[in-house]
Amino acid sequence: MKILIADDSRVMRQIVTRTLRQAGFGDHDLVEAADGQQAADLAVSEKPDLVISDWNMPEMTGIDVLRKLRAAGNDVKFGFVTSECTPEMQQAAEAAGSAFFIVKPFTAERFDEVFSPILG
Amino acid sequence: MSVETVVKEGDLAEMVEQVWVSYLDPEGISPLITTGDENQPTEVHSSVSITGSWHGHLVYASSTQAAKRAAAAFLAMEPEEVGQEDISDVLGELANIVGGNVKAMLPAGCFLSLPTVVMAPQTASYFPAAERISGLYGVWDGESVSISMWQSSSDLQKGEAA
Repeated sequence: MKILIADDSRVMRQIVTRTLRQAGFGDHDLVEAADGQQAADLAVSEKPDLVISDWNMPEMTGIDVLRKLRAAGNDVKFGFVTSECTPEMQQAAEAAGSAFFIVKPFTAERFDEVFSPILG
Repeated sequence: MSVETVVKEGDLAEMVEQVWVSYLDPEGISPLITTGDENQPTEVHSSVSITGSWHGHLVYASSTQAAKRAAAAFLAMEPEEVGQEDISDVLGELANIVGGNVKAMLPAGCFLSLPTVVMAPQTASYFPAAERISGLYGVWDGESVSISMWQSSSDLQKGEAA
């Protein structure tokens, strides 16, 4: 499977990658986006099976990326890994069609719990 | 509204502990030991601003050595391999993670900025229109680390007037 990791922090993209590996999902193809616009573009051009996105990013927020994709009829599995976790954000994410919401800091166990049903 | 009624020092300590357990000290051998010394010297800092229903900043500050160690732990590298960009990214992420968790405890309707990183002591900039209202001060392997919250002075005045 192909996974798109969208986060403006290079460090966090590396940590997400490492945590995926620790959780046993190291064999998938990984693509990275460094801002929201790039995430929206790569979600179309790379045709990933899963998008793991930060919320707060330059150019376009993660929720706007998701809404843009859904508005264009793209139903890629999409969810958030973010330090922000207010109920209104979780509701907005769900309403926009988000499949998961992981709060930073996270552990490999949390990744396993969320991604096992998705990645098998 | 005083944020201390919403985000207490114990809450900050809990968030910071989660960061240590998840990234900086997963094996539990080198926790942040609080000293309560708010005047301890720091050499670098990062911050995120919170606006909306509450106005202020969350500031992460540390010694350069502690920042280097944090970057090494985040990136699974040796401290001597860590470059300036690594340190800057990790400092920004630390403020972002704690700031995001703080935001979740504030009244609804707050917005979090992208992080700002300054490779200079916290005292080098700060914050002409805000006052430090709470903080967690400690040492990590003998190196200073602090996490503090600053609230807009005008918000504080409104709170006093109310």
